[in-house]
Amino acid sequence: MASLPILLTERHADVESDGSEVSRAENRFSTFLEYLFREDRFFLVLSVFIGVLSGLAVVCFRFSIDWCRIYFFGSGAQPSTLRLILAPTIGGLVIAVLVIHVFPLARGSGVNQTRAALFIYDGYIPLRTGVGKFITSALAIGSGQSLGPEDPSLQIGATLASALGRRLRLSRDRMRLIAPVGAAAGLAAAFNAPISAVLFVIEEVIGRWTAGILGSVVLSAVSSVVVMRWFLGSEPLFRIPQVGAIRPLELIAYSVLGIVGGLASVVLASGIAVLRPRCKSLAPWTHYFQPAIAGLLIGGIAALRAPQVMGAGYEYMDEAIHGHFTWQFLAILALLKIVATLLSYVSGTPGGMFAPTLFIGAMLGAAVGGAEHALFPLIAWSPGTYALVGMGVLFAGFLRAPMTSVFMVMEVSGNYSIIVPVIVANTFAYVISRGIHETAIFDVLTRQDGLELPSMEEQREEGILRVEDAMKPPIGPILNAANLPSWSARLTNVKLPGVMLVRVEPSGWSSVTRKEIESLSDADRGGTHLRSVLANRQLPCLHPDQPLDMALRYVDRWPVVPVVNRADLSQLEGVVTQSSVLERYRDTDSAG
Amino acid sequence: MSVTPERHGSPFPLRRDAVTLALLTGLTVVSFVCVEGLSRIYFETQDSLAQRWSARGAAALQSRNYKAAVDGYRTALLYARGNDGYQLGLAQALLGEGRIDEANGYLRNLHDEQPENGLVNLELARIASSKGDPGTAIRFYHNAIYATWPANEETERENARLELIRLFLRNHAQAQAQSELIALAANMSGGERSRTQIAGLFLEAQDYAHALSEYRASLRSNPRDAIALAGAGRAAFELGHYSTARRYLADAAVLAPHDKDSAGRLRIADLVIAMDPFRQQIRVAERNRVVVKDFAAAGTRLTACLSSVPTPATAQLQTLEQSWSKLKRKVTETGLRRNPDLVDAAMELVFDIERQTAAGCGPPTDTDTALVLIAKMHEGI
Repeated sequence: MASLPILLTERHADVESDGSEVSRAENRFSTFLEYLFREDRFFLVLSVFIGVLSGLAVVCFRFSIDWCRIYFFGSGAQPSTLRLILAPTIGGLVIAVLVIHVFPLARGSGVNQTRAALFIYDGYIPLRTGVGKFITSALAIGSGQSLGPEDPSLQIGATLASALGRRLRLSRDRMRLIAPVGAAAGLAAAFNAPISAVLFVIEEVIGRWTAGILGSVVLSAVSSVVVMRWFLGSEPLFRIPQVGAIRPLELIAYSVLGIVGGLASVVLASGIAVLRPRCKSLAPWTHYFQPAIAGLLIGGIAALRAPQVMGAGYEYMDEAIHGHFTWQFLAILALLKIVATLLSYVSGTPGGMFAPTLFIGAMLGAAVGGAEHALFPLIAWSPGTYALVGMGVLFAGFLRAPMTSVFMVMEVSGNYSIIVPVIVANTFAYVISRGIHETAIFDVLTRQDGLELPSMEEQREEGILRVEDAMKPPIGPILNAANLPSWSARLTNVKLPGVMLVRVEPSGWSSVTRKEIESLSDADRGGTHLRSVLANRQLPCLHPDQPLDMALRYVDRWPVVPVVNRADLSQLEGVVTQSSVLERYRDTDSAG
Repeated sequence: MSVTPERHGSPFPLRRDAVTLALLTGLTVVSFVCVEGLSRIYFETQDSLAQRWSARGAAALQSRNYKAAVDGYRTALLYARGNDGYQLGLAQALLGEGRIDEANGYLRNLHDEQPENGLVNLELARIASSKGDPGTAIRFYHNAIYATWPANEETERENARLELIRLFLRNHAQAQAQSELIALAANMSGGERSRTQIAGLFLEAQDYAHALSEYRASLRSNPRDAIALAGAGRAAFELGHYSTARRYLADAAVLAPHDKDSAGRLRIADLVIAMDPFRQQIRVAERNRVVVKDFAAAGTRLTACLSSVPTPATAQLQTLEQSWSKLKRKVTETGLRRNPDLVDAAMELVFDIERQTAAGCGPPTDTDTALVLIAKMHEGI
């Protein structure tokens, strides 16, 4: 890229010259364009555009949600009871008609659709799905359904990216990766947290770290956040009060929060896992009314003096963080939000799970902190800290994204002093949630939808076979290429294995067969012929910690592959052969 | 990854890509402009809603309709998240509604953001004071006194200091109250009404000299201020300046005939002046007559007391009664004229009797009160 001005200047000068000069300049320009438009570089440039466009889309999405809310509930903070009940009910009816007849793929949160695009549909997400997600989610959240805007934003970003990729006829590999790039952009803009968005997409959508995709994901996330901040300001999602130092003893209190949060995550996940298929299996005509009934019930909860459960609820999370509610009321809100979110989600209303998860976590966190303080006044009650840790806890327990949960809390709080309680509490929540509800919620949902996407959590937890697992001691003597004549003389009357390792100084390895040794003893006592054979037969080396898959690359071509120490390449740890590798895989399969 | 045939299959692939990139840039710019327009509409709506609801909140707060004020400010904050003015309004409305914990939450956040805000500190001080946490309240009051105020800075600071002084007085921290009062009086910017108020606080803080000085200053500009006259009278009375007190109290009694406290003090001041045998420029005959009268009054008090007090507590009183009976025959105008030394002995006994009986013989008469005050005055108590 640095050569661009030079190239352009040269090209400009060449216009004055004769035809051949111009032709040369055009060639240079073409070279530059080729350099720029090599797909890997073009993909990075495209990531920035995806980020900007996704950021713009998410900004519009936020405006739409707010306008819907004002339209449904009026501009007041405390709408009338009639509005509280009617708005989500009527909204639910409209959404049901739209989802059934116009945007059938707009159901759900959007995370799994993005994963399906990556793993099944070669990055293809119909533009109509994104448009549908935009409209129906804005209606749902604006009319008070207990859902959030983050997951839809993620899908909107992924849809935009997919549409751009198709228009630009990207290769299949790139197309597969473009949806996560857009997803990261959408999520980053929705959260105003680029690091968390990148981590979430890597941790939960793509499932692996590769340098090629990381750059694009980061670029798109950062661009979308820049755009979002341009329009909506750089204020973080929550205004965090000052967080004091946390005493080591208080970690016990945060551990309790982790346990309670883990259990709450299980309740929410189990509720979805059980109720969603049942609602889906009801008669088709009921699908027209399910979101409306969910809306009616949520409106009922709101009318019973808990309007906080409606919508994403960020303003109430902010209030909880700032200690505006009593801990008893916070506990009630957490409970009611679980019910409301279950109702909204299992009824097939489009909308995200991130915001409800954070809401439940914040309320539960502040409530647990308050209760602990009431029982043990020595424990300092900082509602902001507990609410933030609670958010991370639910994120780790329900969404099973432990790394993202830690970074998310730090990013939205801008405070690193709470990292220790966050890690402690999240670990408890994650372990408990995983112990009771083995399958992560996203995997449950994909399986309910009849898809078999790779489970990121299972992949993370999967034990990996290493070279050392198939490694065996070498059979027979280890020969030295430098001493071949003497060896061959000594081996004349010894029973030898079929293949033997030969050390080639200083740290190379080769192999020799019994037949070659025998022929050597008859024909070439000086070893001249064998030396030339060995020199052309350098064996590849493996290390004990390398994945066993790597050994598969060599064992069909080489009868024996030496495994050497990383610190001393001349030190032989053992050998692997095709049979030893396959035997190890067979053992694992039969054990599994 | 290298260039794939899928992308560069057309006869002019690079030119096509350049055009695509240009189109993409154009699309982005157009989208940006459109969203910019939308965002203007959005934020204008938000601003107008915030202003409309905050105006409702302010009006409701003014008319002490706290519920409506809470609703107004809460809604305004929906559209202008983090607006300090609205948060403060909401906190005040919540305080008005008695939702102290919620208000405290908002104020604490505001304090985190604006530790120098006078009103926030003042409200936090009031909350701490109402929760019975004088230490925290004092800290916030001090912050409020030295904080910045958006308007009427001096007046607001004086008011904050006045509240702090009242807190000290409620907690019987007279010395701290006095020092704050001295500082307040030194920097006083208000009119005579404020000066009278400060003088009253000096009285409450038992700093009678400063109280009298402040009342006098106030009376210089308004000599017919009944409150100032009564206050000055009381301050002079407490200082033992009974003549001065009498003068002020007499004027106060004329201007405020229903002021029973001042009338009572005036009566006692008159008695003190009349019954003090040691006052200056008193003739010998007059002095002897006063001593005889005081002696008789003390005897009456002692006799009444002996009949009302239970026997075990009367031993000391009986001793006094014996002494009084022994002197009674000698304490006459003639006896005192013959033996002037008896004056001191007689008055000594009178003071002893009044002191002893003041403790447990029921409410004293004005005469007895006057005698106790005379005792204090001449014994340097």
